[in-house]
Amino acid sequence: MKRNTIILTAAGVLLLFAGMIMSVHIGAKNIPVSEIYRAFFHYDDSLNAKLVREVRLPRMLLAVLVGGMLSLAGTMMQGIMRNPIAEPSVMGVTQGATLAVSIAAVSSFAGGIYGNFFMGLLGAAGSGILILVFTMGKASNQSISRILLAGTALSTFFLSLASVVALLGNRSQELAFWVAGGLRQAGWVQVAVVAAAGGFFSILAFSYAGKINIISLGDDAAAGLGISPERIKLLIILYLVPICGVCVAAAGNIGYLGLFVPHIIRKLIGNDYRRLMPLSFLYGSTILVLADIAARTISAPYELPVGLFTACMGVPVFLMLVRKEKR
Amino acid sequence: MKEKKYGFRAAVCLSLLLTVVLIALMVGSYHISPFQIVQTLLGSGSKLQNFTVFQIRLPRIVLAVIVASALGVSGGILQGITRNPLAEPGMIGINAGAALFVVLWISAGTTDYYSTLPVLTILGMPLLAMTGSLLSVGLIYLLSSKSGIRPVRFILTGIGVNGGILAVISFYQLSMSKGDYNQVLTWTNGSLWGSNWNYILLTAPLVILLIGAVLFRSKNLDVLALGDELAAGVGLSVPKERLLFLLLATFLAALATSVAGSIAFLGLLGPQIAKRLTGPVHGKMLPMAALISSILLVGADVIAKNLFSPLEIPVGIVVSIVGVPYFIYLMIKER
Amino acid sequence: MGIEIKNLQAAYEDRIIIPDASLVIPKGKVTMLIGPNGCGKSTLLKSIARTIPAKRGSIYLHGEDIRRMPPKSLAKKMAVLPQSPLVPEGIQVKELVAYGRFPYQKPLSGLKRADHEIIRWAMEKTGVLELEERRVEELSGGQRQRVWISLALAQKTGVLLLDEPTTYLDMAHQLEILELLRKLNHEEKTTIVMVIHELNHASKFADHIIGMKQGHILFEGTPKEVIHVENLRKLYEIEAVLMENKDKGYPICMDYSLICE
Repeated sequence: MKRNTIILTAAGVLLLFAGMIMSVHIGAKNIPVSEIYRAFFHYDDSLNAKLVREVRLPRMLLAVLVGGMLSLAGTMMQGIMRNPIAEPSVMGVTQGATLAVSIAAVSSFAGGIYGNFFMGLLGAAGSGILILVFTMGKASNQSISRILLAGTALSTFFLSLASVVALLGNRSQELAFWVAGGLRQAGWVQVAVVAAAGGFFSILAFSYAGKINIISLGDDAAAGLGISPERIKLLIILYLVPICGVCVAAAGNIGYLGLFVPHIIRKLIGNDYRRLMPLSFLYGSTILVLADIAARTISAPYELPVGLFTACMGVPVFLMLVRKEKR
Repeated sequence: MKEKKYGFRAAVCLSLLLTVVLIALMVGSYHISPFQIVQTLLGSGSKLQNFTVFQIRLPRIVLAVIVASALGVSGGILQGITRNPLAEPGMIGINAGAALFVVLWISAGTTDYYSTLPVLTILGMPLLAMTGSLLSVGLIYLLSSKSGIRPVRFILTGIGVNGGILAVISFYQLSMSKGDYNQVLTWTNGSLWGSNWNYILLTAPLVILLIGAVLFRSKNLDVLALGDELAAGVGLSVPKERLLFLLLATFLAALATSVAGSIAFLGLLGPQIAKRLTGPVHGKMLPMAALISSILLVGADVIAKNLFSPLEIPVGIVVSIVGVPYFIYLMIKER
Repeated sequence: MGIEIKNLQAAYEDRIIIPDASLVIPKGKVTMLIGPNGCGKSTLLKSIARTIPAKRGSIYLHGEDIRRMPPKSLAKKMAVLPQSPLVPEGIQVKELVAYGRFPYQKPLSGLKRADHEIIRWAMEKTGVLELEERRVEELSGGQRQRVWISLALAQKTGVLLLDEPTTYLDMAHQLEILELLRKLNHEEKTTIVMVIHELNHASKFADHIIGMKQGHILFEGTPKEVIHVENLRKLYEIEAVLMENKDKGYPICMDYSLICE
């Protein structure tokens, strides 16, 4: 297991690094690596340098952050719910945020980038509270089917409400962008907010990895070891909310990333959240960076929603997990 | 449940439905008084009244009742065979397949589907939707069958397929013209817009037939609720019956979706409320579920049509707004 | 002849639990299946109940192959009470017991007078008649178990299969259920087959005991014949201290310890 972890970490770092360079390199106009280097260290006013600094770089960084955080959020959710299928988009958290962002988009009271972030947080908080209610106390013994039906119901509801808001505000197609998820709107402001807010809570979350390990043994076992499961679950969901909120506000509703990434990592290194969480972050970043490259290039000059790629990878894993259900 | 009490409750619900229907006939951009409604129905209304009642409002109401009954019974069956009160036809991929086909069709550029061949195009959409939902059910069936069909696995697989199809739909939506997009949106959220007698002729006989078949076998559904082993012990062929009911529920949901788009939560609300009124016996519960769902849908449609008039919002949203709080309540209570 | 099992092979999906078993369960007797966890005793019972289809071999009920019998005619000859049946929400005792008449009903027909009489009789037999209007979920574990037995009785069968009918019950209720089953066996001549965990219950109430281990039949016979130190050593890998009941002569396990090699 230990050797696997080291190999996996090394491979992940290499892949991520390669992906990052590729992401800045590839685009409507490919920019040679030497010029990327120049844009960093000998900045001139050339178009390429500007492109790198103002467009490609923030977009790439946002993909790194959002991918890692969503995947981390999924991992934590699976830990506290003891359920391999829990994930922010499956449970309706990202859709709750999407609804709030769409309200912000049509109304005047919370417009602009910061308004989006604020509303994203609010929406994620709302659905986070619902999940809290569903997972607390005895309910943590709820069957997978129950939790999943609840999540699907909520996400259906949030998305359809969002579409009505957009329909009434005559902005429906912009909303479709959020629903599908994409990094088109990446800029330095988004990167800064996601890095600051999301990063802060991610680091806090990492420090709870050991406790999630114990929670995943079961509530009674955790209580027996002197840990209050209720409190830990509450805290973890408190951390999840801002992480998901800023991610959706910046990049829309990117689904299933937190489902298949932890699942694969878990298969390779086991269930220790102290290793699982950082590695899920690393590979989540890598996969979203690569998916974003694909989204930009496959049918260029049009951009495909990156959420489509993550869904393509996530849904089969979902179906596979479900197939194992005994009943 | 005493027979008398059941009869009384059924009568109350029936009169409630008639009241809602009357309101639905009255209210709209052109208001008609109750007295005039009765006159029109008896055949002595003015030309405008005749047209409004018979060509616009009545088909819409009748279609709402058909769709709601189908969804209510379908939800009741699904909740019975999965023994899960949250199971609902709208969330397990049945609707998503239909939506995908409609989206594909609209984005393929057939924007002129109201012109040239009226009958074919009017029936085209429902048939297309029907094909889509049957195909997605087939897919769910294939993916979830592993030494027989387990209802919970079927539902979970449905949720997954639902998610996958929705992702594909959102991809197509991005590349549509605005008009097409709004139309798709209305459809995917469930709407009775564009109801006409042709839709009714298409769906009513089948829905009645299927509900009849369900009620005929409803005792088997009761026995299934005792658990697989005991059900088999009293002589029920559990796998066969379950598959049959699954198919019946699916067809009902597909029929409803084909004319009204995907209306979520109705298949959840109707049976759950009905169960509280009639107890668990399906022979009584399912007709009551159809009744309750009809009241809800006809009522919701009045709101959907008139709240933001002249803009109409999808009726599915109105149902959801009622349905979600109830759903959350169930989720909390049922643990 | 009661139930005859010939070369049965039973499996869950692909995992074979019982490789090859042949035995006869005597008619009109109380037969109990005992053995350590995972020995296949429940699997054997479920194979007889047709809950698990037999992979190979055949099972005969009064000389008739159960696989060839339509489900409803089998249900008229053999009733099954699984370990944890589900109680539909809000159902009354008499409604639940009425399901025992299901094998005799046509799709749309209701309960006839004769059915009502049988349901009443079944509730009377098990002592739940005064509870008939109560909701099943409000009842205690012991009462509920009697309601389920009453359902099985309403099927009017000669054979009754039960999967651990005494689990989740306290000691007094365990005895109550076993006494009830013995009474049914005496008065109605019902053949009773059950899986049971408690060794002393088996030796006290069984006419015929079948000991199973790792999918094989280790021994079968009357309690007096088969419950002895040597067999228990093989069955449970325990060293038992046995005593004889003074009146009836069945063996009682007083104490036991693990075998030290």
